[in-house]
Amino acid sequence: MARDLTLGQYYPVESFVHKLDPRVKFIIMTMYIVGVFLVKHMYGFIVVAAFAILSTLISRVPILSVLKSLKGILFIVIFTAILNVFFHKEGRVYFTIGKLLVTEGGVFFAVKMALRLILLVLGTTLLTYTTTPMALTDGLERLMTPLSWIKIPVHDIAIIMSISLRFIPILMEEVQKIMKAQRARGAEFDKGGLIKRAKALLPILIPLFISAFRRADELALALDARCYNATPNRTRYKKLKFTYRDLIALLSGISYIVLIVAINHRFWIPDLIYSIPFV
Amino acid sequence: MSIKVKNLSYTYSPKTPYEHKALEDITFTIEEGETVGIIGSTGSGKSTLVQHFNALIKLQSGDLVVNGIDLAAKKINYKELRRDIGMLFQYPEYQLFEDTVAKDVAFGPKNFGYKKEEIDLLVKEAITLVGLDYEEVKDKSPFELSGGEKRRVAIAGVIASRPKVLVLDEPTAGLDPVGKREILELIHKLKSAYVKTVIMISHNMDEIAEFTDRVIVLNDKYLIHSTTPDNLFRDENALNGTGLRYPHVVRIQNLLRENGLDINLEKFTVDSLINEIEKEVFKKDN
Ligand SMILES: Nc1ncnc2c1ncn2[C@@H]1O[C@H](COP(=O)(O)OP(=O)(O)OP(=O)(O)O)[C@@H](O)[C@H]1O
Ligand SMILES: [Mg+2]
Repeated sequence: MARDLTLGQYYPVESFVHKLDPRVKFIIMTMYIVGVFLVKHMYGFIVVAAFAILSTLISRVPILSVLKSLKGILFIVIFTAILNVFFHKEGRVYFTIGKLLVTEGGVFFAVKMALRLILLVLGTTLLTYTTTPMALTDGLERLMTPLSWIKIPVHDIAIIMSISLRFIPILMEEVQKIMKAQRARGAEFDKGGLIKRAKALLPILIPLFISAFRRADELALALDARCYNATPNRTRYKKLKFTYRDLIALLSGISYIVLIVAINHRFWIPDLIYSIPFV
Repeated sequence: MSIKVKNLSYTYSPKTPYEHKALEDITFTIEEGETVGIIGSTGSGKSTLVQHFNALIKLQSGDLVVNGIDLAAKKINYKELRRDIGMLFQYPEYQLFEDTVAKDVAFGPKNFGYKKEEIDLLVKEAITLVGLDYEEVKDKSPFELSGGEKRRVAIAGVIASRPKVLVLDEPTAGLDPVGKREILELIHKLKSAYVKTVIMISHNMDEIAEFTDRVIVLNDKYLIHSTTPDNLFRDENALNGTGLRYPHVVRIQNLLRENGLDINLEKFTVDSLINEIEKEVFKKDN
C-alpha cells in the first residue's frame, strides 16, 4: 500500500494526457470545473460526463482506478442528495413521508448536485493521476507568475508546496515502518473503541513527529549548505514546452465550455430536445 | 521451535503499475539454536523475507511454519507469534516514544499481556542485559541518550518480552566501529544466555563470518546459498554476480596465500588471522 501512495496518485503510463503541459492541464481543469458548475440541463451533464470519460479513455488510466476515488466521497454524495431531496420543494409532489415532501424539482436538484460532485472528483482525480506532483507545482508556479509582479513570493510558495508534496510519500513510508516496528512489539491499531484506538496512535505519532522535525532540520541545513535562495531568475532543469498536443487540448477545452453555455442558453440546439421531460 | 519456509514468493502492490516481485520461490529451514545470517545486496528482499516470520507481511504464496504456527492458516494468534519472534528493525531508535526508558521497554511486555509485577522484573532484567545501568537510565527520557544507548534501549524493548527467536535487521547500521562491536558482542551474549535462535541481516561480511553459523544469501529475490560461512567464504565463486564482497579477513588470507604464505583460517576473526600470520612468519624465521 505504501508505494501506491508514494507517488501521490500518479499512474505511470504514457499517453496524450500525461504528456500535456501541466499549465495547460490546469487551465483545462479550471474550464472543466467551471463547466461542472455552469451546467443546468441534463444534456449539459451529458457533455460534461462525456468530456470526463473521453479524457480518461485517452489517458489510458483504467476507468476503474479513477472510479475508486469516488469511494471516499460516496457518503457525502448520498447524504447531500437526501438533504436536497427534502429541502428543495418545487413542482409535482411524488409522495410524502410524514411532513416531508418529495417533489419532482427536489429529485432533479438532488440528482444534479450529486452528479456535479461526482464529476468534480472524477476530473480532479484524473489530473493527479496523470501529472506528477513535481509537474503540478511547476505548472502552478508558472501560472501564478503574474502574481509576483505584485510582490507575492510565488517561487517561495511553489518551493514550499513541492517540498511538502515530496515529503508526503517519505512520511507515509515512515508511518509504515514505525507501525511495523510497534506491531512487532505487540501494538494493535485496529482493536478496541475510539479512545483506545486514538491512544494506540501515540506510539506512531511521536516517532513520526520527531523524525519529521529531524528531516526538516536536515533539509534546511542542506539547502543552506548549497547556498540556496529563491532568487527569481533560477533556471530550470525541466523546460515546459507548448506543443501541438497542448493546442488540441486547449481547443477541445474551449469547445467544451462553448457547448455547455450554448446548451444552457438554448443557442443552436433545437427546441425539440428541451421538450423531453427531466431537462 | 523452528522456522520452515517453503516455496515462498512475495509481490508488492500486485496488479498495479507499481507491482514489484520481491521474493521468488524461497525454501529453507532454521532450527532452534542456530545463529543465521542473511546477506544480499540492497533490494534483494532480506527485510521482506524476515518480516514474514512474525506476520508483519502477510503470506501470499508458499508455506511458512513458525514455531509450529502455520502462517497460511486463517486464524493466527498474532500476539503469541510476535511475542515469540522478537524483531528489531533497522534504526530501531526511531521507534522509541515513551517519556522514560523504563516505560518504553515495558511497551512490549504490556502489549503481550504480562502481569504488572512480571513486567517490572522483565524491564529491569532487559535493561541490565543490554549493558545499561537500570537505576541510572530508567527515569531518563530515551531521547536524551546517545545513539548507541538508544539502540540498546530499543534492543531491551524487544528482548523484554522474552522472545524465543531474535530477528535483527542490520543491528549495527549507522554506528561507529566501537559501537558496532559492542552491539555485536551484546547479541552474542544474548544468544548464549537468553534467546535460543538469532537471525541477523547484515551488509557487513566480517560480522557475518565471525558471528553466524549459517548464512543465507539472497540475490535479486532468489535464495542462492544456505550454508556455513566456512563453506561460503572458501568458495571463491560463491558470491559471483551478487555484488557482495568477501570478508576482509578472507580477502587478506587469499592475498597472503597467493604470495606464498600457507594460511588457513580456522575462524574468520581478526585475532585468528593475526595468529596464523604470526605462526607462519615464525616458521619462516626459523
Ligand atoms: N512497501 C513496499 N512497496 C513496494 N515495494 C517495496 C516495498 N518495500 C520494499 N519494496 C521493494 O522490494 C524489494 C525488496 O526490498 P527489501 O526491503 O526486502 O530489500 P532489502 O534486501 O532489505 O534491502 P536493504 O538492504 O536495502 O534493506 C526492493 O526492490 C524494494 O524496492
Ligand atoms: Mg532491508
